[in-house]
Amino acid sequence: MDNSGGRGEITDWLTAAIIGRNPRRTLIRIGVLVVVSLLIFKFLLLPIRVEGVSMLPTYKENRVNFVNRAAYLFHPPRRGDVVAIRLAGEHIMYMKRIVGLPGETIAFHEGKVFINGQPLEEDYLRLPTNWEHPPERIGADEYFVVGDNRSMDWEDHLKGRAQREKIVGKILL
Amino acid sequence: MRRWVWGIALAVIILGAGIWGYRVMFPGPERVIRERLALVEKLANIAPNEAPLAKLANAQQLAACFTDNPQILIEGTGHGRVVINGQRDLQDAVRAARSQLTQLKVEFLDVNVAVAADKQTALVNLTGKATVPGDSDLMVQELNFQMRKEGRAWLVSRVETVKTLR
Repeated sequence: MDNSGGRGEITDWLTAAIIGRNPRRTLIRIGVLVVVSLLIFKFLLLPIRVEGVSMLPTYKENRVNFVNRAAYLFHPPRRGDVVAIRLAGEHIMYMKRIVGLPGETIAFHEGKVFINGQPLEEDYLRLPTNWEHPPERIGADEYFVVGDNRSMDWEDHLKGRAQREKIVGKILL
Repeated sequence: MRRWVWGIALAVIILGAGIWGYRVMFPGPERVIRERLALVEKLANIAPNEAPLAKLANAQQLAACFTDNPQILIEGTGHGRVVINGQRDLQDAVRAARSQLTQLKVEFLDVNVAVAADKQTALVNLTGKATVPGDSDLMVQELNFQMRKEGRAWLVSRVETVKTLR
């Protein structure tokens, strides 16, 4: 009995499933996908992996996320935004939350943030804190950033005024 | 017609090889500085089970990458302040670090080199990362290296922390 007809059908089906009925069109689609992906991940979304505990519990260690480089194309960074701040480059960046805007005075009293003397509501805080820090003026081109994990000692937590040019973008997820 | 196409291709290849050869034999200051910093990075690493003689040799080689009177001022959140003035202090500090740590991984990332117009000094801005394998602690710091040309070698004259968050 001759089975070659059956084998031929399976081969045709496999070829259609892998390459498509029109290989040229498939190739063009793959090319477009590659170019679009390159553009997106080169210029728009920067993939990152979280290391460290300063943004707990909002962001856990070893989770993957993206930095949206286009977030501040049409408006400046806003209070509450979680942003990526570059050091010498973008291989390693700080991930912090903006709590103070340019020109404001920021202070910490009994763990609460005070902006221009007024307490700031921070619903995202889950861990207890008792930080104390005298009023500090934020420069015209600076943003005050701090992590969400304020249960550690003031000296052990990296925070402070970041220059606008160092803010790469907003954390996407 | 094919002959002149081959002739042009050969000329381009020879020209390219000549430019490449020139760059290899006469590297520009930025390339030399990057090679120096790559050496500093390599020597700053502490391998597990490093033999005492190797520790001593690496410490001396590392100190030789610096000028006679280097200044090092590094501050890290939660890690205190390190101030070193002079070759002797530097050598002592490097030997002490190598005797206390069994392993250390140091990386220089995002190296930006700016050579001064006189081509005798340069400023390097980079991100330094130090980890102890097996330990979750990570030290990351933006650093400025001031480089100075002494003879034909570029040496580190000053290292200081850049406060990314002030």
